[in-house]
Amino acid sequence: MSPGAEASPPRQEEAPLLQADSVSIQFGGLRALTDFNLAIRKGDLQGLIGPNGAGKTTAFNVLTGVYRPTRGDVRVAGRRVNGWLPHQINHLGLARTFQNIRLFRALTALDNVKVACRAQGALHVEGADLGAKLRGALRNYRDWWRALLLTPGFMAEERELTRQAERLLEVMGLSHRRDEEARNLPYGEQRRLEIARALGTRPRVLLLDEPAAGMNTREKADLMVLIRKLRDDFSLGILVIEHDMKLVMGICEQITVLDHGETIARGAPEQVRSDRKVIEAYLGDNYLETHGGAA
Amino acid sequence: METSSVPTPSPGGLPPALRGILPVLIAVPVLLLFDRLLASAPFATYLLSIMGVNVILAVSLNIVNGMTGQFSIGHAGFMAVGAYVAGVLSLSFKETALSFLPVAASDQVFLVVALLAGGAAAALCGFLVGLPSLRLRGDYLAIVTLGFGEIIRVVVQNTDAFGRALGLSGIPQTSSLAMVGFWVFLVVLVARRIAYSSHGRSLWAIREDEVAAEAMGVDTTGYKVRAFVVSAFFAGIAGGLFAHFVPIINPGSFTFVKSMEIVVMVVLGGLGSTTGAIVAAVFLTLLPEALRSAFTVMGAEGSLAQKVDQIRMPVYGLLLVALMLLRPQGLFGMKEIWEVLPRWLPRRRKGLA
Ligand SMILES: Nc1ncnc2c1ncn2[C@@H]1O[C@H](COP(=O)(O)OP(=O)(O)OP(=O)(O)O)[C@@H](O)[C@H]1O
Ligand SMILES: [Mg+2]
Repeated sequence: MSPGAEASPPRQEEAPLLQADSVSIQFGGLRALTDFNLAIRKGDLQGLIGPNGAGKTTAFNVLTGVYRPTRGDVRVAGRRVNGWLPHQINHLGLARTFQNIRLFRALTALDNVKVACRAQGALHVEGADLGAKLRGALRNYRDWWRALLLTPGFMAEERELTRQAERLLEVMGLSHRRDEEARNLPYGEQRRLEIARALGTRPRVLLLDEPAAGMNTREKADLMVLIRKLRDDFSLGILVIEHDMKLVMGICEQITVLDHGETIARGAPEQVRSDRKVIEAYLGDNYLETHGGAA
Repeated sequence: METSSVPTPSPGGLPPALRGILPVLIAVPVLLLFDRLLASAPFATYLLSIMGVNVILAVSLNIVNGMTGQFSIGHAGFMAVGAYVAGVLSLSFKETALSFLPVAASDQVFLVVALLAGGAAAALCGFLVGLPSLRLRGDYLAIVTLGFGEIIRVVVQNTDAFGRALGLSGIPQTSSLAMVGFWVFLVVLVARRIAYSSHGRSLWAIREDEVAAEAMGVDTTGYKVRAFVVSAFFAGIAGGLFAHFVPIINPGSFTFVKSMEIVVMVVLGGLGSTTGAIVAAVFLTLLPEALRSAFTVMGAEGSLAQKVDQIRMPVYGLLLVALMLLRPQGLFGMKEIWEVLPRWLPRRRKGLA
């Protein structure tokens, strides 16, 4: 069902950075996601679309470990991560933004990014023995001592974190907001700050949940260009959820369409656009009138 | 452009190793001097010691309830663990002394060892209580810590070694104002430096949005447990100090009322504000004393003055309600006094270095 993946034989050997194998999740009786498949490799820029309530955000939540799949496997960097905690999955190189912005509101823009930069440090070791776990725990307490005594190592690390975070703010065009509290930023900048923060964890795959929501047409277009640039500069694989069909069509190489939790189409933009099921799903929701028609 | 958002605490010329401990080097002689000056004022010494213990309790609880945004309401339980462990230890080594040291110095060594043992025991309890409950969201911690405080009290009341309901008396009174002051100083230093480290940032992040923190790679459970353990350690220290300057410790000193008192201090000062916790702890320590004196002066003889302790709970309740209505973020919000004060003083400009 995924012709795009087969098209490039040299990359076949490599396991995808992010993979979903017929993942399903059910909330009570509601099948929010059914047999969802996905493969993201380095350099991919894929889109995930569908009407309201189709299960797009749910898909993100399953991939990032917020929910455990009822059936199927999620693999990140070749490892099966069902049941892992979100931070452990993040340490394997998967980062995300949120549809309903979830910044650390009272922290400055810089500190928002620094939290992410630092957290990446400790790598989850699967099946580590008790001794290793204990050593890991003690190392964390050692960090308190280093902070307490302001050791040179601690100070150097702080400076390095600041430098990294400043660079990411610059990339996202937020340098002028460095010391402002996240909650005081305008909406569009908050969305960009979320991306900067996600990049702070040094991901290999980035999941963006409606990054352009609430922006005007111009801002949206700029953002799409920026997303493409991020993919190239940071050699990422990106999966983006976006309501605006025109925008996704413009930048994505492959698009997956969800409706009622089911994958109803997948392929290149032109292919998806003319797919009968897709048109039906969207028209059924009066979608083109409310969203697509506006642009 | 600034290089760091972390304020470098002292002048640049110092070698880094010294810069880290400089505050300690300054604090110790100042405290000793203070101790000497108040040597002939036992009540003032006692009151200041109580105040110090309360500050340690409030500042340490603020690490969990303020900085990390969790809700622990059993701090008196950890204080009790520290008090009884340190107290029993001191009682059993009462007759021993280190022969190569002067008696006073030997006493202090034993005191510090007892305090550390009490703190460690409390920290261990914190770990055992925190690990299962901090994995879960929200209210579990409140319920579990509440239960823990009660369990400790019941255990103490039914154990002969802890003097049952009568309590422990005869613990050597080796604590001093300088010793209390030193630990006050230490807990404040720990709280401040943690707040400005990457550890602290992770705690703030958890407080702000746990889901987002987890998604950004923060091991939220781990950070919460560590904050909780450090907080419990200092509560244990506070208990140990307490046991070494009051004539008798009994379960009545570590009830739910005491826990609530500490929570009120933290909320009153502003969740997340270390200086707020200090100011509130000082205020709430002096408040009953002030009321007592006021009643005595007004000639209400023993009756009302003695009732002050009984009306504490309703007073705290009223204070909390008034606070929620008038200033829900507490005295200083999550800021520190020096960040807030310039804004309150109309004429001064923002440029407070
Ligand atoms: N935790 C949950 N418990 C129960 N139902 C849920 C939960 N999360 C999502 N759902 C349901 O799953 C369905 C899919 O929701 P989801 O948020 O994934 O949609 P979406 O495609 O992101 O929609 P939108 O475009 O509005 O963001 C919805 O019917 C929603 O109510
Ligand atoms: Mg959604």
